[in-house]
Amino acid sequence: MRYLKPTSVGEAADVLESSRGMILAGGTDLCVYMAEGVCSPEVLIDVSGIDSMRGIQAVKPNGEVKMIQIGACTTIAEVAASEALPTCLRQGARAVGSPQIRNLGTVGGNICNASPCGDTLTPLLALDARFVLRCVRGTRIVESEGFFTGPKQTVLDPNEILESIELPLASCARASAFRMIGNRNGQAISQANAAASLMMVDGRMSDVHVAVGSVAPVPLRLGKLERFLTGKRIQEVKLADIREPVLEGIRPIDDVRSSATYRQEVTIALVFDALTACAGQSPGEREGAGGC
Amino acid sequence: MLIRFKCNGKAVQLDVEPEVRVIDVLRDRLGLTGTKEGCGRGECGACTVLLDGKPVNSCLLLVGKIAEREIITIEGIAGEDGSLHPIQEAFLDQGAVQCGFCTPGMVLSTKALLDENGAPDTEEIEEALSGNLCRCTGYGKIVDAVLEASKRLMQGTSHGGE
Amino acid sequence: MKVIGKQVRKVDGFELVTGRAQFAGDYQFPGMVYGAVKRAGVPAGRITGIDHEAARRIPGVIDVLRAEDIPGPNLIGVLPPFDQPILSAGEVRYAGESIVLVIAETAEIARQAASAVSVSIEPYDPILSVEDALRPGARKIHEQGNVTCAKRLIKGAVKTAFENADIIVEGTYETSFQDHAYLEPETVCAVPGRRITLYASCQSPFHIRGHVAANLNVPASSVRVVQACTGGSFGGKDDVATEIGSLACIAAQRLNRPVMIAHDRMESIIGSNLRHAARVSCRTGALSSGRIIAREIAVMLDGGAYASESPFVTLKTMIHAAGPYNIENVEVESTTVYTNKTYCGAFRGFGVPQVTFASESQIDELADKLGIDHLEIRRINGLKAGDPNATGQVYEQSVGLQDTIEQIAAQPDPAHRERSGFMEESTGIGGEGSKPLAGRYLYGTGYACVLQGISNGAEGVDVTGASVQMSQDGSVLVGIGLTELGQGSRTVWAQIAAEVLGVDIDHVSVRLVDTDAVHDSGPTVASRSTTVGGMAVQKAAVEVKKSLISMAALMMQTDGENIELRDGFAILKADDSARIPIASVATAAYWTGFPLMNLAFSKAPPANFDEDTHQGDIYIAYNYGTHRMDVRVDTMTGEVKVLKHLASHDVGKVINPLGLEGQVQGASLMGYGLAHMERIEYADGIIRNPNFADYALPSIKDRIPTVSIPVEDHNPTGPYGAKGVGEPPVAGTAAVFANAISDAVGFRFRRLPITRENILDAVKRGNHG
Repeated sequence: MRYLKPTSVGEAADVLESSRGMILAGGTDLCVYMAEGVCSPEVLIDVSGIDSMRGIQAVKPNGEVKMIQIGACTTIAEVAASEALPTCLRQGARAVGSPQIRNLGTVGGNICNASPCGDTLTPLLALDARFVLRCVRGTRIVESEGFFTGPKQTVLDPNEILESIELPLASCARASAFRMIGNRNGQAISQANAAASLMMVDGRMSDVHVAVGSVAPVPLRLGKLERFLTGKRIQEVKLADIREPVLEGIRPIDDVRSSATYRQEVTIALVFDALTACAGQSPGEREGAGGC
Repeated sequence: MLIRFKCNGKAVQLDVEPEVRVIDVLRDRLGLTGTKEGCGRGECGACTVLLDGKPVNSCLLLVGKIAEREIITIEGIAGEDGSLHPIQEAFLDQGAVQCGFCTPGMVLSTKALLDENGAPDTEEIEEALSGNLCRCTGYGKIVDAVLEASKRLMQGTSHGGE
Repeated sequence: MKVIGKQVRKVDGFELVTGRAQFAGDYQFPGMVYGAVKRAGVPAGRITGIDHEAARRIPGVIDVLRAEDIPGPNLIGVLPPFDQPILSAGEVRYAGESIVLVIAETAEIARQAASAVSVSIEPYDPILSVEDALRPGARKIHEQGNVTCAKRLIKGAVKTAFENADIIVEGTYETSFQDHAYLEPETVCAVPGRRITLYASCQSPFHIRGHVAANLNVPASSVRVVQACTGGSFGGKDDVATEIGSLACIAAQRLNRPVMIAHDRMESIIGSNLRHAARVSCRTGALSSGRIIAREIAVMLDGGAYASESPFVTLKTMIHAAGPYNIENVEVESTTVYTNKTYCGAFRGFGVPQVTFASESQIDELADKLGIDHLEIRRINGLKAGDPNATGQVYEQSVGLQDTIEQIAAQPDPAHRERSGFMEESTGIGGEGSKPLAGRYLYGTGYACVLQGISNGAEGVDVTGASVQMSQDGSVLVGIGLTELGQGSRTVWAQIAAEVLGVDIDHVSVRLVDTDAVHDSGPTVASRSTTVGGMAVQKAAVEVKKSLISMAALMMQTDGENIELRDGFAILKADDSARIPIASVATAAYWTGFPLMNLAFSKAPPANFDEDTHQGDIYIAYNYGTHRMDVRVDTMTGEVKVLKHLASHDVGKVINPLGLEGQVQGASLMGYGLAHMERIEYADGIIRNPNFADYALPSIKDRIPTVSIPVEDHNPTGPYGAKGVGEPPVAGTAAVFANAISDAVGFRFRRLPITRENILDAVKRGNHG
């Protein structure tokens, strides 16, 4: 096995193009696949040492903050701890695996692994995140919502690297929250998860984003629910009201982790809880309000 | 490939394939068998080591990634003279050790927690140790031990009440 | 007393907390090679071909062993006739069955090569349920048929009694398969030689020795088994340790190289014994006063492909099914059945958790029907000293059940008594900020009583060998044939020796269990380490004490009865200042010719009972307990928070308070796992969740706040009056959880685990009528 450690994104792209190897970031997913014999790569391209792919910063092209940029090799623990990031993303990151997994695993790895249960994916969708993809021919930017095409499937070409994640400024200004439930309280894979992100203007909800995971082949937005909630006062929305829009949007399955019926019921609860948490965040008190 | 790193404060240089797991390097090449393999999938924490002070699963860590970095294993926790670290003392005093297989990982996760947060509450302790499974103790005494250790470290004492 | 009952640290704590303790996988021997097996992958069938050419060609592969390469009978088991092959000789009875062993230079190559072995199996229609196994004309999994064993208990006359009952309650209860999930997977290391030595992570080294010798076709005296530090067992490292131990020894002798076999987590789950799944049909008849006068119970256990400990589990469920109650008429029929699934065997509790869940659920149902308080009905029927239990055995002492009931009764009432109703669907979002909305949670409280027979009793011969040796410097070495698995027995044995000999516990070492060193002690099961094990250590220590007293008597020119050993000295009772350091006494004793080592043998009183009715004396003692649990249920997700868990057990005498608490807390969480979180999921005979991600072993964030409230009712058959407590909290917690949840939700759950989904279903059905 060849083990390559490029020091720049350009070098990584070149090497990926010529070797058609596999990208290694933290290794928390890849090492499990290798241990199970699911893949035995001949070439590993370790990108974790590329400085430009790490870190969280505000991007200010003209002196004004336009977006928050997260390097793909930023660890999940770093994402969870960053006060510059919106609450739902921090909470989603905190829900990934265990402290050990979070210290080694990267947000880019979580995205490219593209498990429908990925706990950073639902928040990224709720935040209109965009993914910067790099290859030898250049860069393209893909909306997070269109990035995932199926369980463990994305639009990433074999010669492309996820370089960074961009969060638009508007997303950072919204109240947000993430909730999940797994088969136990610690170190659990989501049986269902939900992320909500919304603005409160004169007590009415606007710019509503609700995303759910583990209840369809990909994490997805609940458009019908979002439209229903838009313009309403949050206190007017009843539990019964959100039931149908949530259920209509999801297609959960029975699998070894949970049943479709349980996933349905619990998704409603998680969406309810996430919205409740958003409602409880007034402008001064929100986590992640600073830095944007 | 020649890989250089620091292990328990000492410089190490090994000729080893970079895709070898750190748990295997520690156990088979360096004779440090205190780090245990419980599942090989990063799901139990028995293989926990500290990488630049942060707990990670050594069964998922490839040795190529630790070049020029620092690893601490359970063997690096006690003093050079063999005296136990206050965390180890607290684990024994509180009855937090039964079969002992999860203990190295628990102690290291505890050290990482207390290095960062000297006075954690129960919830913070549970969060920090949520990646370390134990089948023997029911966890109650482990939490007691971490609370006791944090007290002793704050007071600068190694043993309780001495 | 100086050491007994005191808070002492584990004697092996230093090695464990520093990572220096040697577990089986930590041993290194020159030239050591590694073994891995190829498993069947289908639950039932006949092997038609094995092709290992591809495997042999992999660089680093040294040898491939098949069934015909085993010198001996290729059989292991717990009770003869043994029915379990080490490597399948043709018939496949469960998907995890081992077919071929590959030996290679590294563990990785061995695994790689094992998966390259190609095995052709002509599949049979697998028998995957007890019903299918018992259907007339069903395929026979074993020659004698599909019933592993069946036993019956008859006390009094239930038929007539039911006719006189004012009220009858019946129900059927089920439990699922559970995995031991010890953190250290099964591992052995065999070192060849004139005598072969096997280092093993194991529970029953003598058992292993016998089978290794038989299958190697050599005398048992030429085999030595040493128990390595063992990372948890709970009954799981019996059969499988024998299986891989035998394989490693056979390979080691064949190749004349040390051989290590270490299971990975998946193999640990699919290839080693599980807890029996159970279906318990229970019928209880009582008078309107609450007095139970009859119980009729049928226990059906799914035991998987091989017998393992099933005969003993069958017996134990039968004896415990009626609960810790004084009932005049009891009839229990207990049957274990073969199926094409992973074999089931010993698992902490040994059948008692399954029947206790059934029994205690029905006690609550009875109480509800009669309008009697849940704790009161247990008080009315609970055993007292002098009462005949379900086997008609009477204990004049050490029946502390009522004390444990009173300990629980004395606790303050739960804070939430109301069942606060369901949350309105009209509740708006954002209600009161982060406070839970009114009606979101349901609260409940449950009680359960349990009994657990101590030591082997009717299950077999109950003997233990121990050794105590004092050196000239006064330090003590204890040896015993029972194994420390984390439960703290090494410390208990050291405490006993220290107490008897009057030395500081820091001067007592406990050696590794070595089959060369003591009398065959059988398996470490049934909570017998403290009782039968402790008695053997006490006996040996007392003999060494006699030598010291005799020597000290000569030195002080007085009679032995005037001297005691205490605080590291031989002291004249009449004059505390007249004292000689024990080290000096020991040195003098050596030079004078007094023996300073004793090999003792402790035998529990034999069981004595009728084989057909199982009436008679079965166990040397019982541990009794009462549990209470307060729970909060989230009506939107089914999540449970355990607000309080109290476990009061009559342990006879507390020898090590810290160890006891740890045992109660650990066993309780295991019972909680059985009742709420853990379930082996089968599909067509294949286990779908053989890993820690999908098998929900509790993490620290799932722990329950167990508080242990021990009661001491002196047991004359245990050292210092002690009984074991390793097992009963598993049953107590599983049963009390079911009762607490049922109370909260207003619905009786009849199957374990009671998952969040089950709870949510029940809540929703209740909400909509």
